[in-house]
Amino acid sequence: MAVRKDANTLSAAERAEFVAAIQALKAEGIYDQFVLRHANAIMSAIHRSPAFLPWHRRFIFDLELELQRVSGNPDLGIPYWNWPSGSANASMWNDNLLGGNGDAQGIVRTGPFRAGQWTVVNASGLPAGPLMRAFGQSGLPTLPTQGEINQVMTVTPYDVSPWNLSSNPSFRNQLEGWIGPNLHNRGHVWVGGSMLPMTSPNDPVFFMHHCMVDKIWHDWQIRFPNQRYLPETGGPFGQNLTDPMDSTPSGQIGPRPIDVLNSAALGIVYDGIITQPQPAIPHIIVGANPTQADIASPGETDLFQFEIPSFGPYTMYTTGSSDTFMTLLGPNDPNAQVASNDDGGENLNSQITRNLSAGIYYLRIRLFSARTTGNYAVGVRSDGNNPNPVTELIIDGASINAAISAANESDLYRLNITTEGTYTIQTNGTTDTFITLHGPNSQIPVIASNDDGGASFNARIRRQITAGEYFVRVRHFSPIGTGPYAIRVTRE
Amino acid sequence: MAHHKEIFEDCEIEIKEDTNLLINGKEIDYEHDRDINKWSSRYLPYTRYDSLLEMARAIAQHTVEFSNAKE
Repeated sequence: MAVRKDANTLSAAERAEFVAAIQALKAEGIYDQFVLRHANAIMSAIHRSPAFLPWHRRFIFDLELELQRVSGNPDLGIPYWNWPSGSANASMWNDNLLGGNGDAQGIVRTGPFRAGQWTVVNASGLPAGPLMRAFGQSGLPTLPTQGEINQVMTVTPYDVSPWNLSSNPSFRNQLEGWIGPNLHNRGHVWVGGSMLPMTSPNDPVFFMHHCMVDKIWHDWQIRFPNQRYLPETGGPFGQNLTDPMDSTPSGQIGPRPIDVLNSAALGIVYDGIITQPQPAIPHIIVGANPTQADIASPGETDLFQFEIPSFGPYTMYTTGSSDTFMTLLGPNDPNAQVASNDDGGENLNSQITRNLSAGIYYLRIRLFSARTTGNYAVGVRSDGNNPNPVTELIIDGASINAAISAANESDLYRLNITTEGTYTIQTNGTTDTFITLHGPNSQIPVIASNDDGGASFNARIRRQITAGEYFVRVRHFSPIGTGPYAIRVTRE
Repeated sequence: MAHHKEIFEDCEIEIKEDTNLLINGKEIDYEHDRDINKWSSRYLPYTRYDSLLEMARAIAQHTVEFSNAKE
């Protein structure tokens, strides 16, 4: 199985093998076919659009297969360019791997791809001179930092309409670099020269660069397993989940985004050394003064978390002069959206007031315009010491009829157990319910959960319970589902 | 309407009526985002430019179709 490693960590033998394989593909004419596949693709079909990531995943995967074939080593993986430690003095730019920067005219004169040893081709496949590089000289003098990568790693969803370079919030668009700190585009522009046009695969660092892009997407997919590729349908042709992508030939794997979403299924393994995708999420204390924050770069998204100790009405709000947009997620799931708001507060501030069950919630804050920056403060307050009382489930009492009447809504019930025993909590009706049991004497610890243990799609928990106060939370299995149900608890 | 013609990096850049861009006589397709007043082209897919002329010069300098780097 091929393991994709940080290029700076390759041994001398691994470097020699990779260089020899690239040179062999060049001699066969295969390498230039990859340049033409990229150069002659419809630009908006493979860049500035949702298919940017799956298209390039398939592209470098295909090259990796060719490298394995020509080297006779099925474990040869494309190394990735670890930007935070990959600047001009990094060992990946030594003469035994990529060679270094261009000279005063931008011509690369060191390493295996130097002038006289390596000729680039134009979009027609004709020879077009030596490889060119001009590190940091094309308008962007620095490479992405680990902090900037971590920032992009917090962004969800995968992509949003209008599915282009204006999409926000969009993980794809931030990773590509049209909003936020600029990751992928910056790598191309930092190298400069041959990495600037659509013929950019002429420079072998292209594949290491896109291997890093793919690694970040790979890590993001692991971090957010519930975040799907978007659009599934309704986007431009070639961008939807099951559309064939432009300039993607038949091969060992299919040409659609859905064919490349699962890296593990493709046998792709990253060494896992560099990306630390778990930045600390700042806490907001309920009832405390608002926390000061700012959107320092256009398109940036901030994430906060707070803990709700018990069911009740709460207000999440921003203050300040910025036009904020707020998304509430949870409980206990940073991917489950509860509500969002633009201008519910004073001036252009966002505000959400809602009954919340106990648990950990998350607030994602961005500015309404993806092109602006600004300060704001964010806070959470409880709207009363005596919120709507929690309905009590009476042991062996009558069923309680209720309903999930809005997307992401959940209902909370209290259960007072005075005698240890085996109890059954179940729903009835036509709604696909999901229940969790919390306690004892707290709304937070989950001690049991169930989806379809009851009749049809009803939930059912049967459990030995000690004396104490417990809580039952009922929601629809689908985050957007609604419907009536009945709930009852019995003792054996 | 302004008409601009210059030689840059041995390439002839011509902008007719502020909109039509030709490099060495070849018409260059581009996009202009009026909201942020930036220009971009498939020739240089990773960058947006502040003016049409700035983008034209970058295309002339960096794309293998037009640049004249010799070993």
